[in-house]
Order: sequence, then C-alpha cells, then structure tokens
Amino acid sequence: MQSLRLTLLETHDFSAVHPAVVYVEELKRAFETDEKGQVSIDSLCDGRYTIHVHGAGYNDKEETVNVLGETSVRIKVDYEEHHLNEVVVKEEHGRTLLQSKEQLDKQHLRAAAGKSLADMLQELTGVTMLSNGATLGKPVIHGMHSNRIVMLNNGVRQEDQQWGGEHAPNIDPFLANSVSVVKGAASVRYGTDAIGGVILVEPPQLSARPGWAGELNLAGFSNNRMGVGSFVAEHTFRNIPALAFRVHGTYKKGGTYRIPGYWVANTGTEERNYSATVAYRKLHYGGELFYSHFSTELGIYRGAHTGNQSDLKNAIDSPYPLVASDFSYEINRPRQEVKHDLIKAKLYADNRWGLWNLIYGYQRNFRQEYDVLRVENGKAQLNLTLQTHTLNVNLAHKSVGSIQGDVGVDAIFQDNRFRDGDRLFIPTYQSAGGALYLIERYARNKWVAEGGLRYDYRFYGVYNPEGNNQQNVYYEYHYNNFSGTLGFRYQPSFRWQWMITAGTAWRAPQANELFAAGLHHGAARIELGNKSLQPEQSYSINAEVKYSHDDKLSADLTVYSQAINNYIFLEPGPELLTIRGYFKTFQYKQSDAWLNGTDLSLHYQWFSHLHSTLKASAVLARDRARNDWLVLMPSDRIALSTRYSADLGKRWKQSFVELNGRYVFQQTRIPKNFDEIDYPRPPAAYFLLDASVGTSVFWGRQPFHLSLSVTNLLNEKYRDYLDAFRYFIDQPGRNIIFRVRVPFDFKNNN
Amino acid sequence: MNYQFLNAVMLTATIATTFSACKKDDPPTPVEQELITTLRLDVSGENGFSKSFSYKIENGFGGGLGGIIQIDTLRLAPELTYQVSARVLNEKENPVEDITTEVIAERDEHLFLYHSAPATGAGSITFSNGSTDGQSRPFNQTIIFSTGTSGTGTLTVHLIHAPSDKSGSTPGETGGETDVEAVFPVVIQ
Repeated sequence: MQSLRLTLLETHDFSAVHPAVVYVEELKRAFETDEKGQVSIDSLCDGRYTIHVHGAGYNDKEETVNVLGETSVRIKVDYEEHHLNEVVVKEEHGRTLLQSKEQLDKQHLRAAAGKSLADMLQELTGVTMLSNGATLGKPVIHGMHSNRIVMLNNGVRQEDQQWGGEHAPNIDPFLANSVSVVKGAASVRYGTDAIGGVILVEPPQLSARPGWAGELNLAGFSNNRMGVGSFVAEHTFRNIPALAFRVHGTYKKGGTYRIPGYWVANTGTEERNYSATVAYRKLHYGGELFYSHFSTELGIYRGAHTGNQSDLKNAIDSPYPLVASDFSYEINRPRQEVKHDLIKAKLYADNRWGLWNLIYGYQRNFRQEYDVLRVENGKAQLNLTLQTHTLNVNLAHKSVGSIQGDVGVDAIFQDNRFRDGDRLFIPTYQSAGGALYLIERYARNKWVAEGGLRYDYRFYGVYNPEGNNQQNVYYEYHYNNFSGTLGFRYQPSFRWQWMITAGTAWRAPQANELFAAGLHHGAARIELGNKSLQPEQSYSINAEVKYSHDDKLSADLTVYSQAINNYIFLEPGPELLTIRGYFKTFQYKQSDAWLNGTDLSLHYQWFSHLHSTLKASAVLARDRARNDWLVLMPSDRIALSTRYSADLGKRWKQSFVELNGRYVFQQTRIPKNFDEIDYPRPPAAYFLLDASVGTSVFWGRQPFHLSLSVTNLLNEKYRDYLDAFRYFIDQPGRNIIFRVRVPFDFKNNN
Repeated sequence: MNYQFLNAVMLTATIATTFSACKKDDPPTPVEQELITTLRLDVSGENGFSKSFSYKIENGFGGGLGGIIQIDTLRLAPELTYQVSARVLNEKENPVEDITTEVIAERDEHLFLYHSAPATGAGSITFSNGSTDGQSRPFNQTIIFSTGTSGTGTLTVHLIHAPSDKSGSTPGETGGETDVEAVFPVVIQ
C-alpha cells in the first residue's frame, strides 16, 4: 500500500502552514495539517491526485501530485497578505520572535501520557527538571526555573505560586496539543520574569469541520500502580459552522512509589482536571471562552520532613529510607492540596489596521499545605490564595512595506493572601502592573530581522507580619524598566538556517525573596527574605544554526551567553539557635551571574525505518562578583535514542521499537564554599535506559494506538542533584507503562 | 453584529467586573503552629527539694531572630536521686499554654530522651524508671535522675515526635523528628 506525506510551508518564511485543510479530490476526503504543516495519507494507490489547500490567512492552492510508493511532497503556500494585503488570522500565541525554540508535539505528549509536564519537557535539549521526588517536578530552562521562567497556558500567563521549589505547575498536559519552550530571555513578548525562557502550552484548534471528534487516553504505571484516564471531545455544529465546543476531563490516581529495594512512604497522588471551551469563529471576528479546573492532592515523603540539622544529617547518612512503608494509596501528612481555576475570554477581529486580539484571564490558585502535627486537627496549616487578572490586547498590524509586527498592552492585577491563623510563609500582598510593547519584523529575500521594545511598570503593596506580635507592617515597591530584543535570521536555502538574537530582560524580586521568614523542613534551614533587593537585569545573546538534509540528517546547535546583574540567590549566614537545636540560616542576597551554555541535537536516518537522535546540553553558571560557580545548576547531559518503525501490514501500522539512553554527569562545578551550604556533595553520574514498543491497530478505519514502555529499565539506583529528596532517597526504580490512545473522528466528508 | 458574539462580550465584561471587586478587609495574622518555646524540668527530691529549671528559646520561628533566650543551670546535690517531670510549654501565649497534656495524650508517638555528659562519675546524671506509653514502650515524660559526685557537665533533653524505634537512646537511633533539643549546663555540688 502507498502513502503520501505532504509538508506545507509558507513561501517566504518557511513556517509550517497550520492550521489548514488539505482536500484530496480523488478521495473526497479532507485532512488537517499538524504543527509541522504536515499531513500523512495512507492507503493510497499509485497515481495522480489533485490537492486543494485551504487555510485561514493563506491563499488557496491547488496542486497535482504523483504518488508512486512512499511519496513525500513539499507544497509552498503564500500568506494572503502578500497579495491581498490582508491580515494573517493565525491563532498562535507562540508567534515569536526569532528565538531558539523547541516543541513537543501531540505525538510526543501522548507518547509520554500520564507523566508530569516537567518530566515530559526533559525530552527537550537544555530543559531539565527540579523535583521533590517522583511526583513533584518543575521545568528548568538553561538552569533557570520558578521565578525566572514564564508559562503561558492557552495564551494566559500562568500564576500558580511558581516561586516555590515544591510548587509544580498546575497544568494538565492532556489539554495540550503542543508544548513549546522558548529558550533564553524573551521578556519583550511574554513579560518580565522571562529571564530563563518561556513555556507555551497550546490546546488544539477547534476544527472547522462539522461533527464530533475526540480522543480517549488510558495509561497504567506499574511503579506506583498509577492509573490515568483522559477524555476529550469536540463538536462543531453543522447548522452554525462557526460555533464549536470542546470538553475534556482527566483523572489520575497513584500510590506509594518504589525506589530500588524500598517503598517511599506517603507519596500517593490524585489529580482531577476538567475544562470546557466554546468558540465562535468567523473569518474576520470571533471569540472564545475557556474554563479549566486543575486539582491535585499529593503526599510528601514523610522522611523528608525533619526536625533539625542533626535529624537531617542522620537521614542523609542512613543507607536506607528512615521511614519504612508498604504500598498504599493513602495520602497522609505532610501533604499538599492545590486547586487552580482559569477563566479565559478571548476576542479577535480584524479591520484595516490589522488583527486585534484581546485576552482576559482570571486565575484562582488555592494551595493548602497539611503539615505534620502533634495533634490532628483536620486543618491545613497553610491556605494560600493567589488571584490573578491578566489582560492582553495585541494588534498584529498590517504589513507596511515589508515590515510586519505586533503592538500591544499587558495588564496584571494580583492579590495574594493566607488565612488568619496560618503559619507564616509568604505575606499578604497586592500587585499591579502594566506594559506596552512593540515588535517589528522585516523580511527580505533570505533575511529576516526583528526588533522589539517593551516598557513595564510593576507595583507591590505588602503587609508583612513582624515582631513579637506579628503586627502587619506595610511596604510599597515600585519597579519599572525597559526590555528590548534584536534578532536576525538568514536562511540561504531549505537546508541551512542561521539565527542570532540579543536581548535584555528584567524581573522584580518576588514576595518570597523580599519577605521569606521560615523553616524549610526538607532542608532543615531557615530562609530569610531581604527587603532591599533590587530587580535582576539580564543581557543575553543566543546563536543558533540549523541544518537539515531532507529526512536523512538534521542538526541544531545553539550557544548562548547571558549576564544577569543583581542575580538573587540564597547565601548562607550564621547558625541560629532554636528550641529544636541549631539551624543554618540563608538570606537572599544579590550578585552578578554569568551563564554560558550550549544545546545540541542531531537526527540521523540510517535507512527509512531506522532513526537515531543525539541530544546534549551543558551550562556553565558563574558568579562573576565572587569569581565562583553558582549553586544548584544542572549538570551536563547527553541522550541517545534509536527508533525502528514500520507498518507491519494493513491492520498493524506505525509499529515501533525504541531505545533511549541518558547519561547525566556529576555536577562538579560547585562553589568553593559548597560544604558550608550543602551536604553531601552533588550525587554521582548516572546512566538510565528506557525502552518502548508500540503499534497502531486498525479495526476498520478506527485506529487504536498501543504502547508499552519501561523507564529505568535496569532498575538503577541513582540520585539527581536537582532533586530535593536527594538527601533522603534514591530516584524511582523500574516503571512499566502501558498506554492506549483511541482517537475518534466522525467528521469526515459529512 | 452577531448575537453569539455579543453574548461573549457581555459575559467577559460580567466576569471582569465580578472578580475585580476590590477587597478592603484587614490582612490576616499568622500564628506559629504548635509552637514550643520552653522545656521545663520540674525536679523534686529529699527534704522537700522542689525546683524548676527552664530551657526557653523564642528564637527562630515566625520570622523573629532576636527572641528571648533563657537557659537555667541545673544545680543538684551529689549522689542523690530526684523525681523529674519534663514539661513543654508555649510561653508566647498568655496564659502560658502547657503542651505536656497534648504530648501525654499522644504518648505513643512521642519520646523524651536524656543524655548526660559525662555519662558517669563527677558531674554526671544517670537515668532510671522512665514512664512508658500505652504500649509499654519508653516515653520518659517522668523519670528518676541519680546524680554522680561533685562536678560539672551537661544534660541534653530531646523530645522526639514519631520515632521509628522507641528503644533507641539517641535521636539517631530512634529516628523521627526533633521537636525539642534542650542543652542544660549541670553543676553538681
């Protein structure tokens, strides 16, 4: 049987043509392009086919294709505006900015279904994970995380108390059609704080074809006996083709996880997420309403809650986990319960100025922490509510000559508060901010130049409880600054692409850095805020070269250098005597940091069914003022994966076997005073092997995608430097995962 | 303009106004959870001897660095036995909160540990007849001190929460979490 793969690229900037509908006359069938602008059509016969391409913002195109065996064809499509001077109606929040960017598409996301978002993103070069054991992870981009990266969930800046190292992003990956990571400072478009990079979580476009479609995902994990189920369905009305909606729901429940030889006490998880979207879309205007609810409950390993420094040392020196456990789904103290609600309203319209977009978002993040208590009282000791309103108005203006661009305003209002009688953790504050930005892009022949400028103002009003009676003292902070970016791309041919970007970014110190005053049980240390912190200021330069030789070979090399002045970090101070004994104290201080690094990925096709991918990354993080290394930076790593895939017959398609190996070096670039700050030294290097097999079974035209994966195949005992539980326990052992994905589509040709 | 489109605009506006309603209430006040400030040893002996020795530290939690520190010296006579009752208090509360009752109620999950340096001879204290918990395991909230000959030393008292092995005699052996670590200077004369 023959197959045809179409790749649709825009004539001028080679960007993927997406979303677009490809209609094959002879088959009387329509297909949608994916994010790469690709469509794969199976079960064809050799011969001539007439292809019609139609996509909003693009000129319609008709092309005749000759299919002979496995055929790949590239079709060039023009932007509408180049001929009609009309606006591109492209619903893409990630419309940057010449910037190093990597993406996990739907296929990759579903292949990792059930994992946390941070865990999935580790697949990208330059992205690592900061974790608290196996169940709680945060993405790290080029060594930066939490306050230094921005997440955009469905076009809305995610505000889920991301400053905390033990606060994982409250996003359900099942809702995403793609997750992109913009590596390096990208403040101009995405706002202050995006010093390390931006993560864009994009849901799929609602289809324009009438009828029902959707997908069911199921996964089972052996290690913690976790089950995950997720369902999404969408419908476009036949009578009102502009109106469409989508609903989604995910449920996940896991028990105690296992490290080689032991169960890890109290590490159960439970997650319930759902969302609904309604969209009304016409060619020149439209709107969308989106609501999502994310809720998670997770146990924290009981042994990571220590009383004092010597308890911590005892736990570290113990060859086995100090708290023994059997398998259980029960979640006890210490535990977290987090609920995140998001309401988003979006309107768009075009006029003679260009395409206007308005996105309003309201988020409510409610975090409850249940501490270990002497006497159970059924209450949480921390009840933090963070409410955020965001507003973005963006005009993608019409081309003026060869110049095309975006101008917009951003506004944010935040209210953070705890409940009366909570333990002190982060003070009550209100924050307001506003920004103006302009990004212009000039394209000519093989060159694209882009420049952007942004002005931000940010206000904080903080009520900090102080002194013996914990009286609230009011503080006000006003910050404002410019950020800018300038980038060039040179694309001499389909094969080569050169890009260089320079940018500035800044971020204001966050409430935890200014006012923290608390004990971290997991590290037996007291962290103290610093009310006189200044904003961090970043200057960066990023160069990327991409090469691709059809499907045979592709390579992507990025090098970057970033100076961050007033870099905020925790500096060890004097020990403090408390009723529980002595504790180390750490205070937020500032220094000048300088980060240099590189990301490399290579893809090679040995023959048409066998591919290998090599990925490597390294970051060198210096403290310039002290001429020393920075603490807690990801170590060098290298990963190699090889995949054999083939269609095994009419019913068995896209079958594959894949083997992944990952080697993570020991972090040896540590500050001279490391032993004062931390104990023990960073853990040893480790090698992990993962394997998976899978296939798509067709029952008539209905596919069932099945896969079986094993992570940590060798049941390796290892610890990771960026895991806060490295003091206490190893990383999870072998995990066997079975996944089923059943897409359904009742939209074809109806 | 289309009806649905108008609807969406209206809904957006409604949401925006509903949620932006300004709050004027007072900011909340935090409370240190289950705070212990003091470990007190109520010591009684022969000839009507009855004294209390406190180890009180308000430092460290709830953001305070410069809290009150009061450490009494345990002054006892040589080669005598004393009945000792360990009390844990929150002296930030008024009236003072006696947490001992809670600890006794949860005695299966708690353990007092006593450690003398030197362990024997001049300036030492040895320990016996500690009280037990509901499962006849050590609890040691009340205990007998037997003093050595004249000299000086230190007495360390731990209150351990959720020990994994109650038969241990140091926090390293018992596991669990240290709620109190009190180090008293000892003078026996």
